Amino acid sequence: MTPPPTVFQRRIVIGAAICVMGFALVAVRLIDVTLFRPGHIAGKPSDRVEISRADLADRNGALMARDLPASDLYVRPHMFDDKRRAARDLAAATGADEPRLAQMFLSKRPYVLVARQLPQAERDKASHLGLSGLEFEPNTKRYYPDGRMTSSVLGVTDPDGKGVSGLELGLDSKLHADHADSVVTTSLDMRVQFILAHEAEASMAMFKARAAGGLVMDIRTGEILGLVSLPDFDPNARSFDAGDSTRNLMAQDVYELGSVFKIFSFALALEDHTVRLDEQLPIGNGYKIGKFTIHEAEHMPATLSVRDVLGQSSNIGTAQIALRSGPDRQRAFLMKVGLLSPVRSELPETARPLYPTHWGTIETATIGFGHGISVSPLAFAAAAASIVNGGRRVQPTFLKHTGDARGDQVISPETSATMRELLRYVVTDGTGKKADVPGYDVGGKTGSAEKVGPHGKYTHNLVTSFCGVFPIEAPRYLVFVVLDEPHGTKETAGFALAGYTAAPLAGHVISRIAPLLGVPMNPVSVVKENS
Amino acid sequence: MVRVLNFVCVALMGITILALYHVSERTRVERVQLSRVEQRIADKRVEMSVLQAQWEQVSRPERIQKLAESSLGMGDTATIQLSSLELLPRRGDEPLDGAQIRSANAQGPTQAPVQLVKVAAHTGM
Repeated sequence: MTPPPTVFQRRIVIGAAICVMGFALVAVRLIDVTLFRPGHIAGKPSDRVEISRADLADRNGALMARDLPASDLYVRPHMFDDKRRAARDLAAATGADEPRLAQMFLSKRPYVLVARQLPQAERDKASHLGLSGLEFEPNTKRYYPDGRMTSSVLGVTDPDGKGVSGLELGLDSKLHADHADSVVTTSLDMRVQFILAHEAEASMAMFKARAAGGLVMDIRTGEILGLVSLPDFDPNARSFDAGDSTRNLMAQDVYELGSVFKIFSFALALEDHTVRLDEQLPIGNGYKIGKFTIHEAEHMPATLSVRDVLGQSSNIGTAQIALRSGPDRQRAFLMKVGLLSPVRSELPETARPLYPTHWGTIETATIGFGHGISVSPLAFAAAAASIVNGGRRVQPTFLKHTGDARGDQVISPETSATMRELLRYVVTDGTGKKADVPGYDVGGKTGSAEKVGPHGKYTHNLVTSFCGVFPIEAPRYLVFVVLDEPHGTKETAGFALAGYTAAPLAGHVISRIAPLLGVPMNPVSVVKENS
Repeated sequence: MVRVLNFVCVALMGITILALYHVSERTRVERVQLSRVEQRIADKRVEMSVLQAQWEQVSRPERIQKLAESSLGMGDTATIQLSSLELLPRRGDEPLDGAQIRSANAQGPTQAPVQLVKVAAHTGM
């Protein structure tokens, strides 16, 4: 029998056990750190530029806006030997204001901001000046590869990366919420956007217009494929050039759009069966309503069929048709198609429509042909799309989505089909002939409205527009173009009406975008000039 | 016995300290290397991002069109010059398969020869 361990021996055993337990803990921790938590041993690089805003891309994945690395330049003026020379050199290298820099450097300030969001090239220039006391803080700068072409719809961000206008503001939360490597895909198609911008610019120059704009919309999904407003601005520049504008006339401005509004008067009348297409209406030289007389923009025959009232864009005929509907019904219908409230989309720029508070007989007649009511071109396009897409309300959107987005029925499919037939008639036999494109049966309506002057009276300055849809048998796309104060040319015999200015613009746009969008082409017969 | 146990424990402790130090040092080196690799990846990503933005800028349609017009003498194609395979008559077929010819009564913008772009009027729509 072994003697019991002494106190000394027991203490040694306890000490040894504690040591073993300690080693065991260290071993467990080693296994844990090396095998089970390998990610914890890698620290995050500290000097990486954090991209905080997602990219914007078009519907085909083409980049439209991205945060690129840039630097904020701060300096410690007390480290400069010659402060005036440093101000001059830094101003030349960075584009900063020299007098401001000189004033700041000569003051007692210990730390001065020279410029924000310097691109790499300007940073290199400043670095190579050989000045001590320069400090570059990593930052980012929003870059727009397409420059002016997308400025009116994308807008810009401020130096802190927050949206200021356009989709940059409208999608601000979405752009911030998505993590850095993500992309927000818009409904825009850069090819369509380019063609729209190119043609609008050409027409604006040709007709010496004050402004021009246009949009292309998918009438089933409500997606805006392109939106242009001229004059525009360079979103990558820090300052504006002469004549630049940040105003989006397609969404932010309201216009009396004139005859293009007749689409709604006809849709309402056909829906309510208050007219027949073969019915003859008296036109004459003027139509008196109380103390007011409605005139035509051009000479008209004594009578016109209802079909030709739209085809020839008769104000008198349309006024009679609108009066058959009456003020209450007309107002309710315009409300139903969304023309009496601001249009809602991802674009923050919006405009409240202007319409009379007293909606009497004369107002009903004038609104029938597009005077006395002012709406934004975007709101008009959305409402017109609802008329031709089978009669269902559609909301414009700047985010890509697939599938039919048509909502409530505003007119019957039969009325919608008749309207498409009438719009085709306007292009084949009416005022919209110059919008037709061989192979793509275009339907549409012209609009020429006199602008209201500063004293509330109509001037001779026009706003011309054309709303076209194609292909008319099963329309998919709507093109709406606006020219603000166009002037006639030799080619148009001095005429500046929509049929001579806006209609050809829409035709040019359609002829270029239709093949790109894969719209099936109808056969055309080609004959020799002299046959 | 106790002395042997003590010796083993102390030896084990020494070996463990050395092993721990070795692992710790290797971990530190790996961490530095990992950090450098991550930094390089991040830099490359930024470079790619910048290059992609620059590519988008140089390949924008406006620039391509100007180059195509000035260097290659290209221009817009009239829509009547465009067609699809489905619309082309097969060998032996009647032209357009005898279907009704539908056409427009206006000219699209074109640079095609003038004598080819006038189309027949059709007003049945």
